[in-house]
Amino acid sequence: MVRQAPPETAAAAAVAPLPARARSPVRPASRAMSILRWWAGPALAFALLALLRAFVPLPLVIEVVIFSIYAAGCNFLLGHVGLLSFGQPAYLAVGAYGTAWYLYYGGTDAYVGILIGIAAGIAVALLVGPLFVRLRKDYFALVNLALTVIIYYLMEQVLAAFTHGDDGMLFMDKMSSTPVLDLTDPGQFFIFSLLVGFALWVFYKYLDSSIFGACCLAAKINEDKLCFIGYSDFTVRLAAFVIANTTTALAGSMFAVYLGFVSPELGGPSRAADPVVITILGGAGTLYGPIVGSIAYIGMKDLVSKVFGNWELIIGGLLVFVMLAGEQGIWGSLAPMFERLWRRVGASAAVPGREGGSR
Amino acid sequence: MIDAHLLISGVIFGLSLGGIFFLVTVGLSLCFGLMRVISLDQLLYYSVGGYVTYSVVTATGMPWLGVAGGMAAGAVLGFLAERLVFLRIYDRDITFSMITSYGILVGGIGVIEYVWGLVARPVQDPIPVRVDILGTHIPAYRLLIVAVAVLVYAGIWLFLNRTIIGKAIRAGIEDVEHVQGLGINVHRLFTITFVIAGALSGLAGALDAPLITVDPQMGIELMAFTFMVVIIGGLGSLKGTLVSSFLVGQVVSLGSLFYAPLAQMAPFAVMLVILLIRPTGLFGSPILKR
Repeated sequence: MVRQAPPETAAAAAVAPLPARARSPVRPASRAMSILRWWAGPALAFALLALLRAFVPLPLVIEVVIFSIYAAGCNFLLGHVGLLSFGQPAYLAVGAYGTAWYLYYGGTDAYVGILIGIAAGIAVALLVGPLFVRLRKDYFALVNLALTVIIYYLMEQVLAAFTHGDDGMLFMDKMSSTPVLDLTDPGQFFIFSLLVGFALWVFYKYLDSSIFGACCLAAKINEDKLCFIGYSDFTVRLAAFVIANTTTALAGSMFAVYLGFVSPELGGPSRAADPVVITILGGAGTLYGPIVGSIAYIGMKDLVSKVFGNWELIIGGLLVFVMLAGEQGIWGSLAPMFERLWRRVGASAAVPGREGGSR
Repeated sequence: MIDAHLLISGVIFGLSLGGIFFLVTVGLSLCFGLMRVISLDQLLYYSVGGYVTYSVVTATGMPWLGVAGGMAAGAVLGFLAERLVFLRIYDRDITFSMITSYGILVGGIGVIEYVWGLVARPVQDPIPVRVDILGTHIPAYRLLIVAVAVLVYAGIWLFLNRTIIGKAIRAGIEDVEHVQGLGINVHRLFTITFVIAGALSGLAGALDAPLITVDPQMGIELMAFTFMVVIIGGLGSLKGTLVSSFLVGQVVSLGSLFYAPLAQMAPFAVMLVILLIRPTGLFGSPILKR
């Protein structure tokens, strides 16, 4: 007891100056400042996306936002948990068909449709997750692709009586206009998608700084140590898997509501690598990587296919280049630069800390 | 019950399909075993092999020269990819090689579309003979593919077990650093393996070209099946690859006889069941080294 006293007092002495400083008049302002900074990142990102609307036709911007959400799940899995999934279209299709079935067979409210899509995503992720996440990394990537193919043929052929096979389901006219934001109107849907994206990014930013986010990173880097600390790597991975694939399902249901149409092609295996490409282009594991990546991807797809007619060549070459150039992606290499700039601006306000751009 | 003639032709069809699967996946499996990379670009060499065969056959009219050309093209491309790209990523994480090789695949498909165009091209049948098996007429060419696949398996087995380079490769699959410690140039082994893999994928494309019409997406279409074959067989196992290739071929072919949508779905269901029982496939080793 007596022997323990010196370290305690030493610790108390070390801690003592902190509350004193906290009580000084600078503290509330700096605290407000740091909260502001925390929210400023996502807000700025989506304000810029909204601004993009002024230069680019609306369908393209909506596509960018939805693809950002789509890739966010893949980005979380690859960048934070270290699981590469070539099967995100499976969960996209689940979300889309969940929404489509509700809206095609009776339902009229698009909001409810999206909620049902999300619920379907959670259900499927919980169903296959326990089986998938215990596999080795390489098998995990392959098995997800297999699930994509299964769901594709399930929708195209086996359940053709309910999904109308390749013809797809058109339910644009069946949706009634919704209160607050009318999702049947593209302009208002755009605002809705921005809000959803903003909420999602705030959520992912929160995850980044939470204990769960740290556990995910530990599962990526050294799962033995994670187990050693006392966390179950299975549970952490399963939770991350469910979160990521629910995000993807959300993107699917938003696609369904936006297009008013769903066909198996949406989740086809030939597009299996889209989210992976976006993630890598933007920079895997960075918070804003998916947004930057999908702007680059969709912009390139649009521009190159207009001018050159053959955009796969460019995408493939770029993918190899990004990987060989250090795997950081566009945002991954830009973020440190912004961070330095931000710090220089912030230095006058005397607030330490960092921008959320890089993880 | 299903007609016996249909059943026999279905089995032969499945075998030839399995032969093609084997030729593509054996390269993937060898590369994984030795270098711990997943080389999705094998599917590009498969497509290029098919296209080169198409070009040579239409130019000269000699089908076997076309097959040789396809195989050579696969080998050359494999060599280039190894020297230019894979050399730099051997010590990285496995997801890294997967994404990079996917980039090569997609970019290569872009080049194919640029060179040969988007239209699907038919290749003439080199042996228009039909063989009579139990009263069922079977195209002799399909039997030839099965024979080639079995010969390749035997050849690779002999190469790995009877030659000094092959033995070094096998030792490398066990432990690369030990082989390096013995004074063997591991990177030369890597290149040799990659060229063999590329050549076999090219051969697969060349042999498959007369059966399907070659089109730019043929590699992507095959991708899911190759994934499945290596998962069921176990990555890095030669025997597992052979067994699962023919298993998947049969499941696809016979499944489609019973119920058409099964052709694509049944193998995946089989794969999920096998993974439930054995998470590393039938013959895969449970530990991922390095």
